[in-house]
Amino acid sequence: MKKIKYTLLISALFAMTAFSFACASEDSSEASSSGGSNTLQQVLDRGMLKCGVNDNLAGFGVVAADGSFSGFDIDFCKAVAAAILGDSGKVEYTPTTASNRFEALGSGEIDLLIRNTTWTASRDRELKQDFTAPTFYDGQGMMVYVDSGYNSIDDMEGATICVLQGTTTELNLDDRFTGTGMSYTPLTFETNDPLQAAFEEKRCDGWTTDKSGLASKRASFPASAGGPEALKVLPETLSKEPLGPLTRDNDSEFYDVVQWVVFGMMQAEESGINSSNVSSIASNPPNPGVARLLGASFEGGEVQDFSFGIPKDFMQKVISQVGNYGEVYDRHLVPLGLERAGSLNAMWTEGGLIYAPPFR
Amino acid sequence: MKSFVDSVAQWSRFQRNRNIVIQAVFLFFVTLLGVYFFVRASGLELSLSHFSSRAGFGLSHTFLVDYTSNDSRWVAYFTGVVNTIRVCLVAIFLTTLLGTVMGVARLSKNFLTSKIAWTYVEVLRNTPLLIQIIFWQIVFLQLPQISEAITFGDTTAISNRGILLPWISDNGNAQVWFIFLGIVAAGSLYLSYFLNKREDVSGKSFSIFGNRLNGNLAGISLFVIVTIVTYFAFGRPVSMDIPEITQNNKGTWMQSGGFDLSPEFAAILFALVIYTGTFITEIVRGSIQSLSKGQTEAAQAIGLSKYQAMTLVILPQALRSIIPPLTNQFLNLTKNSSLAVVIAYPDLFMVSRTIMNNSGHALPVFFLILLTYLFLSLCISLVMNLINRRVTRIGA
Repeated sequence: MKKIKYTLLISALFAMTAFSFACASEDSSEASSSGGSNTLQQVLDRGMLKCGVNDNLAGFGVVAADGSFSGFDIDFCKAVAAAILGDSGKVEYTPTTASNRFEALGSGEIDLLIRNTTWTASRDRELKQDFTAPTFYDGQGMMVYVDSGYNSIDDMEGATICVLQGTTTELNLDDRFTGTGMSYTPLTFETNDPLQAAFEEKRCDGWTTDKSGLASKRASFPASAGGPEALKVLPETLSKEPLGPLTRDNDSEFYDVVQWVVFGMMQAEESGINSSNVSSIASNPPNPGVARLLGASFEGGEVQDFSFGIPKDFMQKVISQVGNYGEVYDRHLVPLGLERAGSLNAMWTEGGLIYAPPFR
Repeated sequence: MKSFVDSVAQWSRFQRNRNIVIQAVFLFFVTLLGVYFFVRASGLELSLSHFSSRAGFGLSHTFLVDYTSNDSRWVAYFTGVVNTIRVCLVAIFLTTLLGTVMGVARLSKNFLTSKIAWTYVEVLRNTPLLIQIIFWQIVFLQLPQISEAITFGDTTAISNRGILLPWISDNGNAQVWFIFLGIVAAGSLYLSYFLNKREDVSGKSFSIFGNRLNGNLAGISLFVIVTIVTYFAFGRPVSMDIPEITQNNKGTWMQSGGFDLSPEFAAILFALVIYTGTFITEIVRGSIQSLSKGQTEAAQAIGLSKYQAMTLVILPQALRSIIPPLTNQFLNLTKNSSLAVVIAYPDLFMVSRTIMNNSGHALPVFFLILLTYLFLSLCISLVMNLINRRVTRIGA
């Protein structure tokens, strides 16, 4: 008799586990089916945005000791949450790795992927995911010791290069060297710390990764190994790395919201709207263009509705809670030493590539 | 008239019937679970077709495989598999040697010897392997930088770019010569075996010019003589390959020639050998101690030296209980070799990670990695089981 009870108990336990899994599959089955999904509706129903991020890249996405996330990419998650749910805090962050991030998005584990991810043709097409808009224009660079005498990558015939395992990093490096008929030895590290140990002991002649990453590593290079002055980043850029948020294919409503939140933050900077003056500008917009962006009434007229499926004044919430593009950049990337003036990330009016299509 | 409830109650009175219901319910939910995972996975790309596209990345260690970035991802993967097999084979050989020596030393009556072995086991068995791997990487990085490499008479150079040793290089038909030498080596071994066996059985030995012909000596002499003769007969198939460190006009230091023991390979090899060796030490010690003390005493009684007692009486018997746990350690070593990924040794796991990142398809590549490690482990198990069968055969 005792034996039967045990069998029953164990079976019941298994059955309950299986059942809870089966139930869990219902709310994500919509997302996992490839034939179109409505993430926007799911986020509204759930009241929470699930954002896949980096948790270990200074400036872009880091998790603090208390479990809170901060960074340039994180702020865009917050901005999307503010736009859809009216509260930038309603974000559930999921740390993703370079290798599991696309499957996390494809399987519906996350709604949105903002993890310094480069827009490439194969990702856009083969992975069935859509890039919304570049938020940061990066490029792969090469860092060498000042006393090495290298002034260009062309000088590095036969060199040993420490490379951080990435997605396109090793490929760009190989294209650059084999493309010009130069030999080289790549030392591919999975994580930064052993790579830095090898570079400090001059196991390799060069260190290559995205220039934003090199800037932050150079800034924190230990004085015992010569400090930042011992290193220089060669001027050449090996690759174009436009980074930005991704959504799943065939998810237009959500895709449009994410895209136009990014554009709205850029437009806000261009129009001189920031987190401190947004409420006064919204109550009395200086021109119809600003009124359209903020979903405010211009001199008592009708409020423009872009039919995004979210409140018309979503950009007001984004800007008041997160800030415009320039504020986000200054908050997270300027401390890394990534100067904005003269770079690709300057406003288009100042010779950069940060350009928003019109809100009309 | 019997109600439905009554008939169900009667039917369920038999344990067999109840079991059917329980099992059916259980099976239903397990199937549901399976369907759930299948549905989740079906949206993902699971084929490996992308493996035939161009790899496009370089690898620092390409042992035996002539890999370039222009080859397919399959070739890159295969290079990784060869690198894994290379480090595992060398490590298994060395760790067995180290473990056996330490296991015997652990039982030594000499205080110093046994304490050294004890310290070795207790310190290195109880620290994580990953930490040890990074430790050895840092140790090898502390070697002089290449601009200040230590050289020994222009034949050996030591720097943190690698330990360069003189090696042999192929002059054309070295492969044929090596195959020939392999056959000769087998013949020489058989000759030694034949002569020793004959002497053991009959007590008589061949003699040359009145001197007893030692079986081992005869085998070695045959091999050496044939090697020297055929070296010239084959028209000097190999020559000495002296390593060289040069600096090109842009100031880049370059290594060429010789055998290059890279710091990455050395670090993962050292870590695996020394870490696994601690467990083998304990296996060897335990197996020796499990033998009756009478064996040692009997060996002493018939006048065997300590060395003879160990090699002729104790170890052959201990071997029977050593082999099965030893197999486990070899399997652990092989699986642990995937930790090489942290120190830039391109083993199969590291190469797969790169392919995964490049293609974005993690799941099918993971299946391939699992299957490859499974295959390697089963090969080791097969070989060890064959050895075990031979060792445990009574009277072998």
